[in-house]
Amino acid sequence: MSDATLPRTAWRTPLTRSVAIGVAAALLLASLGLAVFSERAARQEILRETQVQAEILAATVAAPLAFDDTTATQEYVNALAANPSIEAAAAYSGDGALAAALKRGGEPPPAQAPARMARVGGGHVLVAVPVVQGTTRLGAVYLRVSTEAPLQRVMRYFGIGVVVVMASLLVATLGVSEARTREAHKRLQAEIREREKAEEALRQSQKMEAMGQLTGGVAHDFNNLLMVASSGLELMERTSDPQRRARLAQGMREAIDRGASLTQQLLAFSRKTPLKIEVVDLKAQVDRMRDVLDRSLREDIQVEVVAAPDLWAVELDPAQFEVALLNIAINARDAMPRGGTIRIAIENLWAEGDEAKDLVRVAISDEGEGMEPELLSRVFEPFFTTKKVGQGTGLGLSQVYGFARASGGETRIDSEVGRGTTVSLLLPRSAKPLPRREVAAPARTGQPGEARRVLLVEDDDRVAELVQEMLIELGYHVERVANASSALSALQNGADPDIVFSDMVMPGEMSGLDLARRVAEGWPGLPIVLTTGYSASAAAATSEGLRLLFKPYAMDALAAELGAAIHGQAQTAAE
Amino acid sequence: MALLGQKRQRTGATALRRRFRAGIAVVVAASLAAPAFGQAAAAQPGALEYAVKANYLYKFAPFVEWPARVFASAASPFNICVLGSDPFGRALDEAVRGQRIEGRAISVRRLRSAADTGDCHVLYLGRQSPQAADQTLKALRGTPVLTVTDAGQGVQGGIVHFVLVEGRVRFSLDPNQAQANGIVLSSKLRALAAPTLAR
Repeated sequence: MSDATLPRTAWRTPLTRSVAIGVAAALLLASLGLAVFSERAARQEILRETQVQAEILAATVAAPLAFDDTTATQEYVNALAANPSIEAAAAYSGDGALAAALKRGGEPPPAQAPARMARVGGGHVLVAVPVVQGTTRLGAVYLRVSTEAPLQRVMRYFGIGVVVVMASLLVATLGVSEARTREAHKRLQAEIREREKAEEALRQSQKMEAMGQLTGGVAHDFNNLLMVASSGLELMERTSDPQRRARLAQGMREAIDRGASLTQQLLAFSRKTPLKIEVVDLKAQVDRMRDVLDRSLREDIQVEVVAAPDLWAVELDPAQFEVALLNIAINARDAMPRGGTIRIAIENLWAEGDEAKDLVRVAISDEGEGMEPELLSRVFEPFFTTKKVGQGTGLGLSQVYGFARASGGETRIDSEVGRGTTVSLLLPRSAKPLPRREVAAPARTGQPGEARRVLLVEDDDRVAELVQEMLIELGYHVERVANASSALSALQNGADPDIVFSDMVMPGEMSGLDLARRVAEGWPGLPIVLTTGYSASAAAATSEGLRLLFKPYAMDALAAELGAAIHGQAQTAAE
Repeated sequence: MALLGQKRQRTGATALRRRFRAGIAVVVAASLAAPAFGQAAAAQPGALEYAVKANYLYKFAPFVEWPARVFASAASPFNICVLGSDPFGRALDEAVRGQRIEGRAISVRRLRSAADTGDCHVLYLGRQSPQAADQTLKALRGTPVLTVTDAGQGVQGGIVHFVLVEGRVRFSLDPNQAQANGIVLSSKLRALAAPTLAR
């Protein structure tokens, strides 16, 4: 990554404001230099031309000068008048006296023959050459040619000068504004990153707030199911009627299942997840929440879901939606201290007007105390709460508001004192189809262990005992060790299991994850399945692509996972 | 030569063309010794006319090409000879004093007999009988000598022939004879000469 970004910054950095101005200035200087150069070249050219002209004149007036034909000399000199830039021309006889002259402005030619010369200056080119025939010097000629007048020169360069100046200005302006834009962009990027971080933190704290609310209900539930389990066990000990024992076992089983699903939800809920937008069916989403809602509310509160048929799909983060729904429901609960019904109505709203979008409305109504209108305007503000200290943080509805905005929708709140409150989530309809949910394959019936050997790594003796029972029941031979390092030494000492099944969090220096890595290095063909109840550990394991069984698990889930691990590994080995 | 009058009014460019076509009179310039020489020459032809002619005798040299063999050595002088009666007196000697042709000193020789013309590069034929002049010119045919005759001396037939037109010394050229004598006349000189018809 850094390799890719470095060269980009390397070439981007130079285009700063000063560089842009520098480039413009360089452009100006270069043009000026060119102008001076071409000016010099032009002068040299005029000088050269004038010299040639003088030599030609010298050759033609040689004979007339020699034989004193002033008329002819004058005619030759006059012939130069065809060149408009010639200001003066003259021919001199052998003794230096003026023989013929042409004067067209400015000073007349010198009266005496000047010495040989060729120079540029003062807007003139002055050239004098001797007239020589053979080796005999017969006289001299003199020419004065005007270079362009300064004004003419300025006019000649003016047009191009304007263009160059404009171009330089343009370069400078563009460069400066580009540099400014880049700086602004950089600042904006930094700000966006900061905000993303802050929002992430806010989301998490909002979730934790909802969690706190949940925990009360969940603890209550857990007590109930523990009650079922403990009284069930007690009753089982006192009866030998197989039918009654089976019924009690069934009751305990159900209580434990409910507890397991509750903890699953709590874990899923508290897991720190980045915003993940999905296309969802709101009805299904709400149904999935029913359990959690029932438990986090009180017994005297009923939840009623009224969903219109053929609901449109919406795009949102399901986890955030759950938190939002929970937050609203908890507020509704607290508004009904004497109990009542929470009604969740879901319906499609067709767009009205050109600008409007099709929406799906989720309206959560209570039969509670209601709120004063002046409070209504403030309920979505963070940390605004009507609850007593210790009962609420004031983050609940602000999460609802943030979630709705993030999903492209909005929130409405309607309340009437004494009649109740309705909070509506208006979520835009999604044009995308619902993802086809894979129908969860029915858990495969426990494959017989086929007398395979399992190395079980588990620190808790009671859990280990139970799992061992389950594995034996499934037809596995089990060897159990208490921690990861014991497992490693067992492997090194020749234990040759078909699979390793290990807990993740264990006392000792090595975790289940470390063990999995060591096994993958030292025994590449040996499958390993990890198990944990901690969401953080689970995330670490799945990110490394390891097989994972979430605690608590049922026997067929254990059978399926172990079977799949053994067969998957066997397949890989066969390939 | 009515041409001369016309010519004065012409512009330089046309005149330049005409000059090569027709040739034109050489003007006696005031650049010799006296500034008012033009009027003086017209008034008293004698001395000044011959001073001009004396000057021209050596000035032809740069415009004429002699074969290299006419000079015995690098130090050999350039000889200007006068045969017959000498109209120049001291004017010729004064004209050539201090002058050099291609680095050679100029020596003026006054010949008594046509038989002495062997070393001459320029031969001026002064007053003499037409027969004698013809004979000399005939004898020199094929010899690289620039022969000069002068209407003012009643002699004609030289490669260069001095005439006086409207008081100005002009000359005509005979390129055929020059070619026969093995010398080359510069085109510049020929452009300046009066037409042969003017003889």
